[in-house]
Amino acid sequence: MSLDPFLLWLESTSLSTWVREEPSIYAFPLILSLHTIGLGFVAGINAVIALRILGVGGSIPIAELRRFMPVMWASFWLNAISGIVLLIAYPTKGLTNPVFYLKLLLIAGGVVLIRYIAPRVFVGDAAGEEAAARMRPMAWAALVCWVGAIFAGRLLAYTHSRLLQGM
Amino acid sequence: MEPLQTWLVQLLEQDNPVAPIMRTAWGWPIMESLHFVGLSLLVGAVGIFDLRLLGVGRRIPMAAVRRLVPWGLGGFGLSILTGITFLMTEPNQYIYNPAFLLKVVFMMVAGVNAAIFAVTPFGRLLPDNGGATPRSAKVIATVSLCLWVATILSGRLITFYRPGVCDPNETRVVATCLP
Repeated sequence: MSLDPFLLWLESTSLSTWVREEPSIYAFPLILSLHTIGLGFVAGINAVIALRILGVGGSIPIAELRRFMPVMWASFWLNAISGIVLLIAYPTKGLTNPVFYLKLLLIAGGVVLIRYIAPRVFVGDAAGEEAAARMRPMAWAALVCWVGAIFAGRLLAYTHSRLLQGM
Repeated sequence: MEPLQTWLVQLLEQDNPVAPIMRTAWGWPIMESLHFVGLSLLVGAVGIFDLRLLGVGRRIPMAAVRRLVPWGLGGFGLSILTGITFLMTEPNQYIYNPAFLLKVVFMMVAGVNAAIFAVTPFGRLLPDNGGATPRSAKVIATVSLCLWVATILSGRLITFYRPGVCDPNETRVVATCLP
């Protein structure tokens, strides 16, 4: 079954057309900027938690890093929404590019890992430290996922074979 | 400012080994990706530091949260180095770009703001554990967060403010067009 009729329909919706064609800086450029700001907080906070598990800033009580999780998740949802809007603007560009699916897979990996790590290390100080010692491979994997997601995301601008159905 | 800008572009345009590498298929995309990895490290470390000053995670001792500073500086260094490779490859696309010039201003003010925190007593007088942060430190933290977000925002907008050719009859203080 071909994806093309669906992509053609999606591209013709008013939201897609608006994001793509509205010349205002508050349309596509702002959505893209929000996606980058969110990226910094999502990858950054996840990286700090992973680095702490790997021994950086050992005097930081690990359980206290849970206080930054609301900021991380708020940024994550900001990026999920801005990402969906960017995808609706250029559905063919993303959905026909294997790198896009790799990016989604790496983000899914990062999310699964933090959801596994968080409830185990964000407990009492001593129990958290004990759990963190066992989480080192997961912390490395999380770093690989977020760095990989950034690379895959950046490469989307260079690796797409088609931009729009109509082109 | 325009003579300084012209001089900078000429300086950066001189034969350099970076531009040919950047113009290969993978040069620019890889440097951009690393630029974003650096940005994330900076935002993660500085963001957590500033939020701690604003009262998030009060039980974290200030001495402990300071351990993140070298990682923030490392991320910043990575972004500066990769940023310079863009500048060395397409100097006039940056030096005359209003979004880029604004970005540099935001980063310089962020640097001054961080230096104020580092050299004044504001930073040293922080209660180590649990207590309330003085208002001066909270102002510095808020300014820092806003400036780094503004830096990312203006950086992302560079591509939408590509400079056009200048009007020869116009006088300008700062050139935001190609002379």
